[in-house]
Amino acid sequence: MTAHVRTAAKGCVTAALVVASLSLAAQQQRGEWPMYSGNYQSERYSPLAQITTSNVSKLRPAWVYQPPGAGSLETTPLVVNGVMYATAGPTAVQAIDIRSGRTLWEWTRPIPASVLNLGFPRVNRGVAYADGLIYVGTLDGYLVALDAKGGIERWMVHVGENPLGHSITAAPLVVDNKVIVGVSGGEAGIRGFLDAYDAKSGKPIWRFWTIPSPGEPGSESWPGDSWVHGGGATWLTGSYDPALKLLYWGTGNPGPDWNGDSRVGDNLYTSSIVAIDIETGKAKWHFQHTPHDVHDWDSNQIPVLVDAEINGRPRKLVVQANRNAFFYVLDRQTGEFLLGAPYAKQTWAKGLDEKGRPIVIPNMEPSEKGTLVYPSLQGSTNWASPSYSPDTGLLYVPVREMGSIYFKTPAEYRAGTYYTGGSEKRLDEESWGAVRAIDVKTGKTAWDFALPSPSWAGVLSTAGGLVFSGSNEGNFYALDAKSGKALWQFQTGGAIRSGPMSFEFDGKQYVAVAGGHALFVFALDQP
Amino acid sequence: MRAHATISLVSLLLLAAPASAQTATPRRAVPATQAIAAGKTLFDSQCAWCHGAGGDGGTGPNLHGRLRHATDYASIVDIVTNGIPGTEMPSFRTPLTARHIGQIASYVQSLGRTRGAAIAGNAEHGAALYRTNGCATCHTIAGAGGVLGPELTTIGATRGGPYLRDAIVKPAAAHPPGYLVVRAVDRDGREVRGIRVNEDVFWIQLRDAGGNVHVLEKARLATVERQLDASLMPSYAARVTGTDLDDLVAYLASLRGVK
Repeated sequence: MTAHVRTAAKGCVTAALVVASLSLAAQQQRGEWPMYSGNYQSERYSPLAQITTSNVSKLRPAWVYQPPGAGSLETTPLVVNGVMYATAGPTAVQAIDIRSGRTLWEWTRPIPASVLNLGFPRVNRGVAYADGLIYVGTLDGYLVALDAKGGIERWMVHVGENPLGHSITAAPLVVDNKVIVGVSGGEAGIRGFLDAYDAKSGKPIWRFWTIPSPGEPGSESWPGDSWVHGGGATWLTGSYDPALKLLYWGTGNPGPDWNGDSRVGDNLYTSSIVAIDIETGKAKWHFQHTPHDVHDWDSNQIPVLVDAEINGRPRKLVVQANRNAFFYVLDRQTGEFLLGAPYAKQTWAKGLDEKGRPIVIPNMEPSEKGTLVYPSLQGSTNWASPSYSPDTGLLYVPVREMGSIYFKTPAEYRAGTYYTGGSEKRLDEESWGAVRAIDVKTGKTAWDFALPSPSWAGVLSTAGGLVFSGSNEGNFYALDAKSGKALWQFQTGGAIRSGPMSFEFDGKQYVAVAGGHALFVFALDQP
Repeated sequence: MRAHATISLVSLLLLAAPASAQTATPRRAVPATQAIAAGKTLFDSQCAWCHGAGGDGGTGPNLHGRLRHATDYASIVDIVTNGIPGTEMPSFRTPLTARHIGQIASYVQSLGRTRGAAIAGNAEHGAALYRTNGCATCHTIAGAGGVLGPELTTIGATRGGPYLRDAIVKPAAAHPPGYLVVRAVDRDGREVRGIRVNEDVFWIQLRDAGGNVHVLEKARLATVERQLDASLMPSYAARVTGTDLDDLVAYLASLRGVK
């Protein structure tokens, strides 16, 4: 990160041209935050080290941004070319000047009340950036490219049918001139897919269906026509390995969620990680965490790409703390299961077999009278991002310790309505949360920082030896990445349901997080 | 809100709802008794948890007689579909299809025509017992009383008889949301026990039995114990017995607020 580039990046056109030629990895090295999870590995780790364990106690709000008319924010902003790009629900993008905290442009898509959001709030979680364009998914199922300088629409493409329950809340991912975008709708009986569009024109390149059609491999796991409304939504951003040219994307629950009677079988490729060839859009391998899921345990949690030694051998890994309470380590070239262990309270499986398949305890499925199972249907973790620090080798996971009584009801598919077949009664009072540090080589917990309630806040780790996260109670705090000891906190006044990020501007490191209806940006008074 | 409108309309068309099916000719009409029977099965699984078996009331209100928030079939469908904001009644839009919500509404509507398990007891005598037992030290009715326990002005409209009885004799088992008891002990062994007023990651606020609020920094505490099975309210099982208990329950059940 040279002073020269930083100065140039202050806002002139030539700076934009210089930056456009840099790789995304180089951008992050320069102190930018160029994509939702920070980098293609989805580490949500910042290499910046101005804010450290010794000075974090002096962290102060630099400014607070309140998008007009927004509900609760779930955005992770990007910082590219000295401009911050944030989003608000139902579908709005703001370009914000970092020095002043003032709006440079705002783009809002009108979203009538009739637009469906079956199974999730009317939120947007972030944008993608490449070559002067900002990419955003819309609640009504479109992908839009905006000019990064002026917020003008360059192209728009229809991704999914909102009247059938398709929506986009996740940030897209741009890889090699392709915009990769997934859809929500797993509670509406959609057939899930992941799409690639040409980044310049919006032209469709490929579509990967998460539910195979009859005759395709995996179709034998769906009886009759149950595959048609089989779910497998792709509602959160995935990861990418440029060397292997593979995308790693989590898939959601099968439909109907809690009543599996009509879909006896494993229901591939729901509740799985799928490795997809970026050029062809075909699956290279898949790994199913929860075969025939009946608890709504999506596998959409961000898969994190880690290179580490396992059993004395250097391996390219994809690791994930899954909603089903197990932590998984897979070889990301082959999908081979290497390690798996529970990281939170669970009562549904005796363990995993040598292939990583759960050894299910009988009679734990939802029932008419109700079945108590840990974790709750929101899982032991959910969409809130984990963070991996290459400095500590620890994966920091936002954890939800909660059980639920699961009910089963009859399910009937009706287009554009819920197709779930059940519900839960959460055990709220005895529930709690944590930021849990998991050693990726062993799956063992290194430390635990307890929270009063199950977390919805993402985690950021930094080269300053810090871990940042939030709470439902509004706290934004910094922990020592090695020990989990709290070093600083700020009460934002609203529940934090977003992932923190960090960037550098004008020689100063900032940390930003959305809390409640506002975006908070922190820095040291005098670095 | 299109989903809501669609659900209500479709339900009305598909169901032979006792009060409202006379206009449309439903193509797949389900006889009312069949819808009510199907609705009872769903009710027992999804609703009895709060509203009690047969809708006699529990944590949630008794559904016999005139309903506080619903006047007809369509408004029951609306409440089951969307919940009642500001109350503990959730939306059942996710777990239940429009058809099943319609069946539940038919059943609930049928309860409105019956009396259910009557609450025995003399409410007037119950009111006297409320005064002589000092309940107003902690509870408020119609503006008068203490703030330590839940306000009871409309308690008869929001809780059923069985729950009210439990709350008097086994208050620990029946404590409502927002009345969690926490015991905190600081590093010097000083203890505070009280209702959790608020809590975040770093602070906890407790209201003790004397009504004093303690603002405690967790870093200075050795123990923070959530007592899930505790209540600051003592059990009145030994003090209010037999028909007196019936009378006190009847009095509380009669507190339905001013319309």
